[in-house]
Amino acid sequence: MITHELIERIEGEAVLDFKTDKSGHVQEASIRFLHFRGMEAILEGRNALDALVIAPRVCGICGHSHLIAAVRMLENLYASAGSAVKVTPKAHALREVTRVCELMQNHIKWLYLVMLHESGKLLGKEPQVALRALYASSQINQMSALFSGQWPHSSYAHPGGVTCDPTHIEVMQALKLLSDVERFIEKDVLGCKTENFEANMDVESLLLMEGDFGTLLRYFERLDLLDLGKSHGRFLVLGEDAHEITPNERSYAHIDFVSEDDSQTFAHGGKTYAKNALYRGKFYETGPLARAISTERSGVSALYQQYGDTALTRITARIDEVVSLIAYVRLLLTSLDFTESSFIPPVSIESISGKGVGVVEAPRGSLIHRATVEKGKIASYSIITPTQWNLGNGTYDSPGIAQKAMLGIESTAKASLIFRTFDVCSVCTTH
Amino acid sequence: MKPPSAITSTMPSNPAKLKMIWLQGITCNGNTHSFLNDPALETLLESSEFIHHPLLPCSMNLRQLVKKLPKSDILIFEGAYKADFERAGMRMEELLNTLASKAKHIIAMGSCASFGGIFKEADPEHISGILFDKEKESGPLKEMREKVITLSGCPAHPKWLSFVIEMMRLEKTIAVDEFRRPKELYAYLVHNGCLRNEYFEWKVDCDTFGTKEGCLFYDQGCQGPFTHGSCNKILWNEVSSKTRSGTPCVGCTEPTFPKRELFTTKTYMSIPAEMPLGVPKRSYLALAGAAKSFHIKRLEGKLIDDNA
Repeated sequence: MITHELIERIEGEAVLDFKTDKSGHVQEASIRFLHFRGMEAILEGRNALDALVIAPRVCGICGHSHLIAAVRMLENLYASAGSAVKVTPKAHALREVTRVCELMQNHIKWLYLVMLHESGKLLGKEPQVALRALYASSQINQMSALFSGQWPHSSYAHPGGVTCDPTHIEVMQALKLLSDVERFIEKDVLGCKTENFEANMDVESLLLMEGDFGTLLRYFERLDLLDLGKSHGRFLVLGEDAHEITPNERSYAHIDFVSEDDSQTFAHGGKTYAKNALYRGKFYETGPLARAISTERSGVSALYQQYGDTALTRITARIDEVVSLIAYVRLLLTSLDFTESSFIPPVSIESISGKGVGVVEAPRGSLIHRATVEKGKIASYSIITPTQWNLGNGTYDSPGIAQKAMLGIESTAKASLIFRTFDVCSVCTTH
Repeated sequence: MKPPSAITSTMPSNPAKLKMIWLQGITCNGNTHSFLNDPALETLLESSEFIHHPLLPCSMNLRQLVKKLPKSDILIFEGAYKADFERAGMRMEELLNTLASKAKHIIAMGSCASFGGIFKEADPEHISGILFDKEKESGPLKEMREKVITLSGCPAHPKWLSFVIEMMRLEKTIAVDEFRRPKELYAYLVHNGCLRNEYFEWKVDCDTFGTKEGCLFYDQGCQGPFTHGSCNKILWNEVSSKTRSGTPCVGCTEPTFPKRELFTTKTYMSIPAEMPLGVPKRSYLALAGAAKSFHIKRLEGKLIDDNA
């Protein structure tokens, strides 16, 4: 039987086309993204610095990652044109604070607005508006705005550093907000201290956790989905700490092996606006699970060793990332040296021609911006977003990451929930 | 203590909640996420509820919304408009027009819904705002213009939205400008409340980003002196604004957004091509000459000088 499910409450919408057997088990699943906005064409012909304003508008929830990808692309462009730009450790640290703030708020919204809601619905319990979670995510965005001026859609990172020149007062405010967020994570999300969570990351302990994360895992257990959702076991991190990891091998990853495949798009008689993103010609999973394995975060790595890339491991990786980022932001904030410059002016962009590439680990995985620039004007611009990696459409013999994870699931409703464990972003993908 | 009886008798004990629909056109979801930052969300949801919202729990999903096309007190539209853009299989032409005709009030949330915004750049002929197409009042809802409130901005500030919802709930008149933007929010310029105003007054420019000193209007392309918006009065995320973090205003609340060369000030014989709003060029020139002749030491040095 063929069914079409409109998937909402992701960033935008997608349609899943399922082929099921008589008992309703998923035999094939393909993913359609039906919108297209033409961001790359909008950027072409503009001053290259305009990308710092236009590119963040690809996405309302991870626009800051697009800003950082764009600024890294510009700095790479400067370097390849022989006019390398210097960025002080302070400016770099500030960009890191705001970048990871975006990851943290994203993961909290995913847990509360998407996962608890959709899994609860399948079990007949739909939660109310998650006001405490939204308040915590607004505090994280506030932390970011102390330096970046606003969230969403700031343009405070420029080649050579950042536009702000904060003092210790902003750091104090940020640390206060961080402590508030940490309390929310411990009280509401985990139901225990972060140390206890990290020290007891085995399935028995996780399922006994009192917080909302424990509730989500118990929902998945009741739905018999906890140990399902396995994909290829191939992971990729291209931004920070670039690695490719396959079941047999772990090595440094290089952007030269990345390609886009448009065989499934409308342009070639396919049924989606999204292109597939491939590494060495294959689908790789990117995002929090890939990052946890790549950086060898002990708890998630151990879960992965035992349960593979199941829903259990994938969900836990996203929550564990929030916990590990709290510690990272605190470290960044407490080690800022305000005697350093915020910004070291580069030469005028109008003197620059060449190619640039910028890669960043966005909430959902590796995000790539590439551009060709002629005398400071954008000649071509190309974006590959995380969802293109995870939700590409493969063939029956070689399915994409989420496609493979949905195969064999006993109903389309449950398969749709597995689909959501990848934290889909339709607006990014249909840029 | 009991409240006076006159009040209790006129206040229904459990007033009906305002019914709202949040519909998306061609969008990045930035206004949705901007709205979720509103610390007053809880209070807002005590008196209003969403029939449909793209992320919050609500009574109808998109499919049900398209099937039922229900009445609402407020229709909030985010994103740019294109007649053949579809949501849940229905063309926007039909979906927006029907929902709008059944709504008591309509809010164009963000610059795409207001004027076409960034996404209009991809297909200028077919993409517009819901009431305005750039400056022209020729959008699909032009017959319903009196119902429409424009909240331009990329994104619009969450407080701007909760202000308008509250005014509508209280059935108060919202004074609007020529683009139907609430005057209480858009009569200000982004320049008002900017921490660098003194540098603007004395024509001291900012040589470079990443400093506390100097005005971003003269070289870095700041559009604050001619952009309507209360970004420096109603701060972003409660704490800051673009200019407070040293980033030039990009003019995102105006129908001209997005202009080009956003980090360069266009000049005409070394005078900014676009004048601060309402300032004649001739007077500006006279004033600028006079202001520049003052050399105010305090404004030429660092604001915080460690060696002083």
